[in-house]
Amino acid sequence: MLANLGDWLNDRFGWRGIWEAIFLRKVPHVNWFYTLGSASLFVAINQAITGILLTLYYVPTPDHAYDSVVYITTQLPFGWLIRGLHHWGASAMVVLVVLHLLRVFFYGAYKFPREATWMTGVILLIVVIGFGFTGYLLPWDQRAYWATTVGTRIAGVAPYVGDFLLKIARGGPELSAVTLARFFGTHIWVLPTTLALLVVIHLYLVIRVGISAVPAKDE
Amino acid sequence: MSESDKEGKEVGRRNFMKMTIVGIGGLITAAFGIPAVAYVMGPALKQSVGEWIQLGSVTKVETGIPTLFKTVIQTQTGWITTDEEFSVYVLTEDGQNYVAMSNVCTHLGCRVRWVADQNGFFCPCHNGAFAKDGTVTGGPPPRPLDRFESKVENDILFVKRG
Amino acid sequence: MNKQEQQDYLDKYKKAKEKGVPFFPDIIFKDTIVVFIVFIILIALAYFVGVPLEARANPNDANYTPRPEWYFLFLFQLLKYFPGNLEVVGAMILPGLFITLLLLLPFIDRSPKRHFMTRPYASIAAIVVVLGIGLLTWLAVNEAPPPIQAAVVDKAAALYATDCANCHGQGIVIPEGTDLHKLIAAGNHQGMPAWGGDLSADEIDMLAGFILSPNGSALFTQECASCHKSPVLASGNPVQLQKVFDEGKDFPAHKDLNTPDWKSTLTPDQENALLNFLAAPDGQRLFAINCQGCHGEGVGFSGTKEELRAMIEKGGHEIKMPGWKDTLSADDLNTLAQYVVDPEANSAGSTMFGKYCAACHGDKIPAAPDEASALSIIALGGSHITMPVWGEILTAEQLDALTSYTWDTSQGVGVASGEKLFASNCRGCHGKFGEGGPNPTFPGDMIFPISSSEYLKTRDDATIRNIISQGQPDYGMTPFGSAYGGSLSDEQIDAILGFIRSWEANPPSVSPPKAPPVVTQPQELSASQIYGSLCAQCHGVNREGTASGPALDPAQLRAEFDDQALHDMINNGVLKVAMPGLGNMFTDDQVKKLVILVAGTETGTSTGSGTVPKPPTNSTVSFNDQVLPIFQAKCSMCHSSATTFGGWDSTSYQAVMTSGDNAPEVIAGDPDNSYLMQLLQATNGAFMPPTGKLSDEEIQIIMDWILAGALDN
Repeated sequence: MLANLGDWLNDRFGWRGIWEAIFLRKVPHVNWFYTLGSASLFVAINQAITGILLTLYYVPTPDHAYDSVVYITTQLPFGWLIRGLHHWGASAMVVLVVLHLLRVFFYGAYKFPREATWMTGVILLIVVIGFGFTGYLLPWDQRAYWATTVGTRIAGVAPYVGDFLLKIARGGPELSAVTLARFFGTHIWVLPTTLALLVVIHLYLVIRVGISAVPAKDE
Repeated sequence: MSESDKEGKEVGRRNFMKMTIVGIGGLITAAFGIPAVAYVMGPALKQSVGEWIQLGSVTKVETGIPTLFKTVIQTQTGWITTDEEFSVYVLTEDGQNYVAMSNVCTHLGCRVRWVADQNGFFCPCHNGAFAKDGTVTGGPPPRPLDRFESKVENDILFVKRG
Repeated sequence: MNKQEQQDYLDKYKKAKEKGVPFFPDIIFKDTIVVFIVFIILIALAYFVGVPLEARANPNDANYTPRPEWYFLFLFQLLKYFPGNLEVVGAMILPGLFITLLLLLPFIDRSPKRHFMTRPYASIAAIVVVLGIGLLTWLAVNEAPPPIQAAVVDKAAALYATDCANCHGQGIVIPEGTDLHKLIAAGNHQGMPAWGGDLSADEIDMLAGFILSPNGSALFTQECASCHKSPVLASGNPVQLQKVFDEGKDFPAHKDLNTPDWKSTLTPDQENALLNFLAAPDGQRLFAINCQGCHGEGVGFSGTKEELRAMIEKGGHEIKMPGWKDTLSADDLNTLAQYVVDPEANSAGSTMFGKYCAACHGDKIPAAPDEASALSIIALGGSHITMPVWGEILTAEQLDALTSYTWDTSQGVGVASGEKLFASNCRGCHGKFGEGGPNPTFPGDMIFPISSSEYLKTRDDATIRNIISQGQPDYGMTPFGSAYGGSLSDEQIDAILGFIRSWEANPPSVSPPKAPPVVTQPQELSASQIYGSLCAQCHGVNREGTASGPALDPAQLRAEFDDQALHDMINNGVLKVAMPGLGNMFTDDQVKKLVILVAGTETGTSTGSGTVPKPPTNSTVSFNDQVLPIFQAKCSMCHSSATTFGGWDSTSYQAVMTSGDNAPEVIAGDPDNSYLMQLLQATNGAFMPPTGKLSDEEIQIIMDWILAGALDN
């Protein structure tokens, strides 16, 4: 019955071909360090799920942001878990992505034919850092406010255009409702779409050229 | 060790791995799914505790005529506390027993009004009509006006909202 | 990497792949295990550590120490090493360069070598970068000042910065001889506000200390502030402060503590700076701390200022009071002795004390247990008292200030303390603590307290200055300002103001006595006043009697008692009915007059003044004919249905009886408790009409009307 359904669907979608290409392909023997990429992907999915759940209640205005975060954490069933997973997931993401990068670096896996995979990976790292930076402001507590005040100040350091950049980052000369709104928009729309696109390219390249083998001593 | 043994072991190992993957995958899905459902439904499932709301002195109620009481109550929705006007029609026929009726039309939630000339409540939206005791006398409303539990203490009228 | 090498790699990889395993389930199995571990760790962190949420963002909080998320800490730390113009290097160029390098890595490192041991430079570079970031993060975590102990702040400097720096900039040069404490407290005419209302005396001291010795303040912050939370704790007595330096480790309070040996750690200059900060060169305070114990509020010094300074500085000499028995007559000696034992008893003593004793004793009257011992000390001379060598204790600045203050007070002008001026000008009516009392100008009126924080808060300095200088004729207060014919200069008024203001921060430590009852000035009270305030409580204002006392009908009294019996009754009280005896409170003469008042003499005259409550005139007072016209003439401009000040409408019977913020303003039959009467008679200080009291006749009419039941007739 299930097999019949599978056949029926396969005739229409051709999913078995895709399945074989992605999952049944042969891969060189690799060690546990090679799981870091998948772990990063998992945490990214974790961030997406918990992030979406948080937006159900979170309101990105200075008047309500803090209260809504308190509400999520203290009033809602499992609110502490959802927010906890998102918060710690952000740190885990940075850790895993950096470890993943180091693994690729020390195994020389960025070399031919995987240069493009590496470059998308580096951009992904920047996106992840961008997530951390924009997400930090959203709870609108003291820590968030002041860290972002200092953080955006860095943009102002640039010669000639610094002031202009600072105003763009903050949406004005000071941290305000505008800043919160644009950080929120960046955090939940701009960065996630960028991330999704880059992850797809990254994975496509990984599957296309294959996972690098563990280099031998003399390689 | 024969070739087939080796192959059999290999199959067993692969099966074990597949089951582990499915098992852990299911576990993680559940660990996301169940809290997520609770988290989304949380506010909807919250039991509102009925609380007694003070309306005012019973002497304001004229016998045989529904009297509108308006009072402002504080409601907490999510993280916002708002002042909300709460209106109740109170009817007494004997000066002893009081009937407190919602002024919300049971059809689609418009506010009904007492029209003394016609001795009935009328809804401005879809021509719903109710008798003074709240029973439907015309139009689309599916049931009589909702009633609140009420009590009188020291000549002060209270209704239970919940 | 050339074409050949690339081809070699691809071939090799193909072989590795063929020998390899299927992605599913082999690889995914490992992934799943790791993912599961990561997930468990995340849940554990969420559960056991939770998510920190600090207080709501407060853009005005200047004390918050901003911290970025941990993975930005290394950048945060890096910026510390790029000061000023170079900041752009740390903030932009380095990170930008690093990212670019990372992005272009495959094109920079083009060798075919892959194993990290075969490409040592790249590996070492990577390790250095990782360790560098780790080190920076570690440094940031450890260097970060914990927010709680947020750097010890120089409180005095902070106070100066908020209150003074706007006008005075970084520092002020203080002209010699300035009484800084007073100046700060009272302000000046060049627009400097009087800080006495906003700052406590200790804070003003701290400011004065800082202005005169900023280094001392810094030293205090650095050396002392970790134990002494505020300069107040350490400030005060220069004798004690000097001991800290003289005794070093042996100083009692520091003995058991692990303090440095201040004797050897501080240079003389630093000691000086610290002393000047902690005991600000503020003559008045220095005098109060060091001299008042022996000299009272001031000394009468007749030499030159230089001599005074030398005397204070050298100190040390024995001071012996001469025996006065050869100089003064026996009568004078007795008077003085009486005065010393009880300064209130003999006013002649005050003059004599000022003449003979104040030069040394100031206005501090030495205590003596009884007249006999006082007399013997005065007659034979006093014991030896040694004045400390102030030159060893005080800094030069402090000596200058103390000399200057002492000199000025001894001259009796100008800078004499506000307290002294208050005592001589204001105390008579307002009481020692500004608690008020009976108004000598308007009998029956009470002067309300001026030391209550409510009073002081609701009046600014200009208002109080005006009140003092222009007086309050409506309340019987004469102008004190020289511009209005009074005796006080602007500076003196400022000094008084400063003193009055000091109540606000430091309310009088002795609780002000209750408004003095009639007892204090027995001779001033007439029989009718005594009756009104004491007897009427039970016998009724018009002797009509109340629940607690019988009516007093002269005829009936005369029939039952003779003069002596009445006198005894009033004098000793009547135990049976708990009537108090008034003999302890009043003179015999007053009691006699009271007898006449209540029972009359044979001729029936009473000695009361115009305000004696007369028995109600037998004809009832008419509201419409008599009372309402008074209201219309005197009250209705403010109290009508159109302008109802105080909520009271005086234009109709109904309104009179029911309206008003303190309604009912009229209590039928009870004038004493009718707010209207209280206002008309200014019983509680407040009075009506504001333009001046109604005539006695008018008041009597209204009172009679109320007594008769406040009828609508």
